[in-house]
Amino acid sequence: MNAVRLSLPIFFIVVSLVLAILTLQLPHAQLGNPYGPMYFPLVVSVGLFLFSVIDLIKTRHYFGKENEDLKALLKKETLFTLGIILALCLLYTIIFERLGFFLSTVIFLAAIMFFLNGKKKWLLNIIVTLVVAGSSWYVFSYLLEISLP
Amino acid sequence: MDLSFVLDGLWTALQPINLLWLIIGAILGTIVGILPGLGPATGVAVLIPLTFGMEPVSALILMAAIYYGALFGGSRSSILINTPGDGSSIAATFDGYPMTKNGQAGQAMSIAAMASLIGGVMAIFGFIFLAIPLANFALNFGPAEYLFLFFFALSAVVALSLGNMVKGFITMFLGLGISTIGIDLQSGVHRHTFDIPHFTEGISFVVIIIGIYAIGEVLYNMFANKQPKDVDSSKIGHKWFTKDQWKRSLGPILRSGPIGFFLGVLPGSGGTISSLLAYSAEKQISKNKKQFGKGAVEGLVAPESANSSAAVGSLIPMLTMAIPGSGTTAVMLGALVMIGITPGPLLFENSPDLVWTLINSMFIGNIILVIINIAMVGVLVKILKTPPRVLYPIVLVLSFIGAYTLGYSTIDFYILIIAGVIGLFMRLLDYPVVPLILALIVGGEMEQNLRRALVIYDQPVDMLFASPITIVLALLTLLSLSYPLLIKLVKRTSRNKDHTADV
Repeated sequence: MNAVRLSLPIFFIVVSLVLAILTLQLPHAQLGNPYGPMYFPLVVSVGLFLFSVIDLIKTRHYFGKENEDLKALLKKETLFTLGIILALCLLYTIIFERLGFFLSTVIFLAAIMFFLNGKKKWLLNIIVTLVVAGSSWYVFSYLLEISLP
Repeated sequence: MDLSFVLDGLWTALQPINLLWLIIGAILGTIVGILPGLGPATGVAVLIPLTFGMEPVSALILMAAIYYGALFGGSRSSILINTPGDGSSIAATFDGYPMTKNGQAGQAMSIAAMASLIGGVMAIFGFIFLAIPLANFALNFGPAEYLFLFFFALSAVVALSLGNMVKGFITMFLGLGISTIGIDLQSGVHRHTFDIPHFTEGISFVVIIIGIYAIGEVLYNMFANKQPKDVDSSKIGHKWFTKDQWKRSLGPILRSGPIGFFLGVLPGSGGTISSLLAYSAEKQISKNKKQFGKGAVEGLVAPESANSSAAVGSLIPMLTMAIPGSGTTAVMLGALVMIGITPGPLLFENSPDLVWTLINSMFIGNIILVIINIAMVGVLVKILKTPPRVLYPIVLVLSFIGAYTLGYSTIDFYILIIAGVIGLFMRLLDYPVVPLILALIVGGEMEQNLRRALVIYDQPVDMLFASPITIVLALLTLLSLSYPLLIKLVKRTSRNKDHTADV
């Protein structure tokens, strides 16, 4: 649990360092002050770094304290569920433009619906998948004239 | 005030197409508010694509209707199942749910709807009298004034992440950091774009908002044990409140409306704080203190009235100065920019028709919402029973469509997923979201104004003394940053006094 608590402050420290390094590598501006584009991101990265370090130090106060949500997160089945959902989101990202909106959405929705609701509710899963994919395709492509792949 | 603008606005708001969008928005908002785990911010975020291709005025009407509709809906689930749709309807659970347990769910919902209506209408009058002078005032702002306004808005939002100021600063700096991605408008230098053309114009804050709110919310609800309880439709009781309940409610409703409105106007405070404050204020002055928490109607209507008027109040800084004070108004700001409406002081000068149509539509919308909420109690209860495992996959798909329509690139999908995971962890570890979003939105403008001001004024100190406005804003910034310290001091002093008295 403590590792999760430390994860965000450490992540933010890394982000601040990356931001600072990237900013220092920026090319000089041809117009106006050559260092103009660097000031603001540098101040931001220093601020982010300082407050993240303070946060990291303060985190130890929470060590050993119970947190229901963190407990639930760290259960194996939760991690499995979240892992599968995120993996399906990534899959949807990859196939969205390749297979087109309708087909990819049907695959994505059906996969998530069957994963969450099981095979027993197959009819509900199929109906929701087809109705949502079909109606959103109709609404966005035809009614709102938004070009979907 | 030119009366013809008011009448023109009323005429436009009453056009069948606008009325239709208003009703659709009110119904969608109510549904979104009722559904467990979906707050107004998520609702507006997920439904943004609906506004594309619409007339700007219709889009604004639709979004505002979804916003206050979601607030109405949020209190339904608070009253019926003790589960607030979002922060601003937490206070409605204190006495709303006990009323349901006493067999008065129908009455609780109808009187809550009336309280929201009256609170909303009071705030609309406040909007008329405050927004336009404020917009005119803001027309005089130069770079230094804007810079200090941003400082104040950000510090207020950070300070209001009570007890979490360090985390508030972190998320604020993170938002400012993300806002630096893209081409630097003053020099043309590409910053942190990793040679990805899509990043040249920066990362769309709406995508990040959808990710944090919608995807983060879905992921959180996958394991948080907050499944809604079942509602017995037969135990709703009478639909209409009694004369006695009305008599007891009128005072609290009228007192709480202004509290909500003024807190709503301040950046960051929004519905949650105003409804909690209205509740505790009403409890303080009530003769039946002991009834509070056991189903006192005063304890339900006060936060409802405050909540509704805070929603209207929070539109003021968003529309007049493009500073959103809450997650939902931040989403609305993003959506408005997407459809070609640029909020800011010039909006009131260049498009008074748009503003007046919105005001008139808010009047009509609030009345429609009362009708929907009272007449359709049975249907609303059924919506509450929607299985989350059917709902969340749909929210995921709508989020992806929303992100795609913003930039027509699946790169935004990656950002959406990353923002969702970060949003989940931020929620689990109590990092406030609003400072991140506000910083993300104002970051670009803030930097530009800072650099312009540095060109105009030789010394940074000169910026501070540029005008009385900058001095006042700087003082407000200091005050808001020291506010948590002051609260601590006051608490400690009163504790010491109590201790001395005990001895």
